[in-house]
Amino acid sequence: MTLAPGPDERADSERPDVPGFRTWRGLYLFVFGWFMLVLALLTVFTAMFS
Amino acid sequence: MNVADWIVLLGTLVGIAAYGAWRTRHIRSLNTYLRGSTSTGWGTIGLSVMATQASAITFLSIPGQGFESGIGFVQNYFGLPLALIIVCAVFLPMYRRLNVYTAYEFLGQRFDEKTRLLGAGLFLLQRGLAAGVTIYAPAIIMSTVLGWRLDLVIVFTGLLVIVYTVTGGSEAVALTHKWQMTMISAGMVTALVVLLLRLPGGLGFTGAAHVAGALGKLQAVDFSLDPSRRYTVWTGVFGGLFLSLSYFGTDQSQVQRYIGGASIREGRLGLMFNAVLKIPMQFVILLSGALLFVFYQFAPHPVFFNQAEWRRHAQDGKFAALEARHASALAQSQSAIRSWLEARASDDAARETSARAAMVAANDRADAIRAEARAAIAAADPRAKTKDSDYVFITFILTELPHGTIGLLVAVMFAAALSSKAAELAALGTTTTIDLWRHFHPLTAADERRNVRVARRFTGMWGLVAVAFALLAGFAENLIEAINILGSIFYGVLLGLFLVAFFVRHVGGSAVFFAAVAAEALVIVMYFSLNIGYLWYNIIGCAACVAFSVAMQAILPPRARADEVRAR
Repeated sequence: MTLAPGPDERADSERPDVPGFRTWRGLYLFVFGWFMLVLALLTVFTAMFS
Repeated sequence: MNVADWIVLLGTLVGIAAYGAWRTRHIRSLNTYLRGSTSTGWGTIGLSVMATQASAITFLSIPGQGFESGIGFVQNYFGLPLALIIVCAVFLPMYRRLNVYTAYEFLGQRFDEKTRLLGAGLFLLQRGLAAGVTIYAPAIIMSTVLGWRLDLVIVFTGLLVIVYTVTGGSEAVALTHKWQMTMISAGMVTALVVLLLRLPGGLGFTGAAHVAGALGKLQAVDFSLDPSRRYTVWTGVFGGLFLSLSYFGTDQSQVQRYIGGASIREGRLGLMFNAVLKIPMQFVILLSGALLFVFYQFAPHPVFFNQAEWRRHAQDGKFAALEARHASALAQSQSAIRSWLEARASDDAARETSARAAMVAANDRADAIRAEARAAIAAADPRAKTKDSDYVFITFILTELPHGTIGLLVAVMFAAALSSKAAELAALGTTTTIDLWRHFHPLTAADERRNVRVARRFTGMWGLVAVAFALLAGFAENLIEAINILGSIFYGVLLGLFLVAFFVRHVGGSAVFFAAVAAEALVIVMYFSLNIGYLWYNIIGCAACVAFSVAMQAILPPRARADEVRAR
């Protein structure tokens, strides 16, 4: 019999370990920026073809 | 379908299911069974989250949506990346820190046991009732088009998913998701390439996009503030944020996909993978539908794409006349499109404007005849299914793709059905085991092997319930919409519970519990007394739950508040 593992204490201190990003906040900002870029590209696409 | 198609279809579907069951057959650990392997990386988590959301209807209906109404539906996904950022920053760290198996366990730790049972109960009621629909909805389309027996399709897909989900639990679900998503991506890219190659000579992608755009199919974004418009940037960002937050943050079928893994980093990166790829992926699927529309401007196609339904009613001359008129309107539309393309190349603005108006008018005439065809079917049988856009893409697959790839694309549809069903069954089994069975049998919680056996039995039970419901759904199809409505009635209050848990820290268990019950009662009363779109009940239920919780906390007797603070 084994019990479930203990709480993940590292949850908040873990780094993204993604090249170019030192913090999770930076990664979230990148994803938000990507969303804005996609929105801008879709707006251009609509203007080009509608 | 020929032998090659059957080999590809059965080889991929059964092969992936057998691989999942074989690799996970020795699982004895409850943690691995319910949360997956502790070495799962972000790529597998990301694909698993994507596969859970992508049902067969995604690949059958969304190209049809692009064909029929254009690509504006992509705006529905605009809130998703923002919701996933919130889930990564707030929900996931809390679930990991408290080491929960289900999202509803978190409610128990934050509030109390009755609130946990309420959250789990709402999820089980909503997902349990909808369990058959994820099997039935694609099965009815595939069996209609391919001429297979509906009950056999339901039983085959149901038993296949039960076998590997019961065997390996969450670990098998994640493993099979990875390969199912790989196959789905390969199949969809193949279909898109064939579609581009089959476009009329000289048209190419750019020409086809200009034709689709001129005929109103490529308006991807609409910044209008008109509330009567169904898809705008604003409804997508705000409504989509709300819906995605409730789905990804509180629905156990998604929570279970990302709370496991080697570390919180893997879960976060898996979610960010979806935040980055989801909108482009949906855009490509919708664009395929719009290009399919252009393809069918130049290729003969039926006036009504659900040919089985059409043949059932097309007994008299009225239907033959509609077919003849449609063929003639299609020829005129083709001619008008070619004239417009020539006018566009001539750089004569006046000629181009006039040719464009003629093309739009010709297309409108063809559309009007398709609408007449739908009305004729409805007149012949008021219970007949008159929405044929779900049959457009599968018709293209069966008539235009080479053999072998037909089997692959049919396998894509079934793989999507299996992937969403597997995640749903694992979530239902896990919630029943952890939040109900262990709650009422606390002494057995330490016997891990028994817990795994019980989780397997509950997962299998929910699988059989889903198959039974899917078999019955054919006799009561209007139940399906009722179940979707029921989902909206419960989803909002469930999200409200979690938003209070995360963001309104001074509210305690009794306040939120009675507030949720009152909010649910309000939503049900409003549903029976008002006539508004049922999606609004998501927002109303959530807002009512949060507002009632704050109010209830303020009016609770001081003793009850003090007890709750001590308990926390």
